[in-house]
Amino acid sequence: MTIAYACAMGHAPGILAWTDAAPAEQKDRLYAAFAELRRRLEAAQLDALIVFTAEHWANFFLDHMSAFCIGAAGRFDGPIEPWLKVPKVEIPGDEQLARAIVTACYDNDLEPSFAQEMHFDHGTMIPLHFLTPDMNLPVVPIVINTLAPPFPSARRCLRLGRVVGDMLRHSNKRVGIVATGGMSHDPGERNHGYIDSTFDRQFLEHMTEGNVEALGTYTSEALSAAGAGAVELLNWIALAGALQSFRGQVLSYEPVKPWATGIGAMFFELSERVSSREAGRSAQS
Amino acid sequence: MSVYALQKLIREINRNPDMRARFLQSPQSIVTGSELSAEEAAALLAKDFGALYRLGVHGLLLRPFSILHGQSEPEYLVAIRAGGPV
Repeated sequence: MTIAYACAMGHAPGILAWTDAAPAEQKDRLYAAFAELRRRLEAAQLDALIVFTAEHWANFFLDHMSAFCIGAAGRFDGPIEPWLKVPKVEIPGDEQLARAIVTACYDNDLEPSFAQEMHFDHGTMIPLHFLTPDMNLPVVPIVINTLAPPFPSARRCLRLGRVVGDMLRHSNKRVGIVATGGMSHDPGERNHGYIDSTFDRQFLEHMTEGNVEALGTYTSEALSAAGAGAVELLNWIALAGALQSFRGQVLSYEPVKPWATGIGAMFFELSERVSSREAGRSAQS
Repeated sequence: MSVYALQKLIREINRNPDMRARFLQSPQSIVTGSELSAEEAAALLAKDFGALYRLGVHGLLLRPFSILHGQSEPEYLVAIRAGGPV
């Protein structure tokens, strides 16, 4: 069928674990944005949800790091953190879709690893908590290494996204895509608490304009300069690669000091609609 | 390379409930027989988060580990920022 929904959002642990530490107005604006993303997700009547996600040493370690890993389990669980203040739950996977993604990647000269067992940490659980709280929508996580350098390039993440997007456009399922992580933050490191709103707003502008070319020019150094956690924006870049032609809408951006993170929430107008509108314009001209 | 063993151990404590319980009950029993250097073992047993950071433990392993021990964010930051640039 098609890509039927796309959004991006942050996953700072404080969103759930230290909720009340944030100024109420910031927390309220973000929670309202997350609720709107959920409302639109439910309206899209999805069969499955792909999550371009980061993980924080939950599954992978320095004994074996891969740039990209497709979660191909029949079910997942999470969160692994006992302090996240959400109950541990099971989340259904979509093995068939995951296998199709892996195959599409291999057919297009990309070789991600795949995993038939995966446990979610806050990086995936926070988006799911807000978007699919009933945990009944099958999920395929696509984990990008944003932990242990070297990191895959932005261009490579665009390419991964493009392969996934092209495959979905020929799928018989209605699939949504969520990108999670970022924005500027330096979690657990010496600049923990540092937020670069200028960097964040520039990145949001590119995502709003669907400026895939500009997104492809972000280097690891440029991302890391906004904090170690800003590298997670590679997930957003992969999403842009999947959508290709799109416009984004920033539902909320909040630099939340007590959560030590610049947090964005975006919804994306899908390429098909953009394309048909452009087709309409050119037909009129 | 030894910091690899230290990070691996902290990761297991963070994500494995059984390991976590064993460590919280008897840290020495976990450290004994491990591949940690004397300096690493001492820092771990003392819950010296600043020393662990300077030994090279990744922030996303160390901060969750410190949360398990009830360390507040300001306390954690004072600890890892002490001792000058890494």
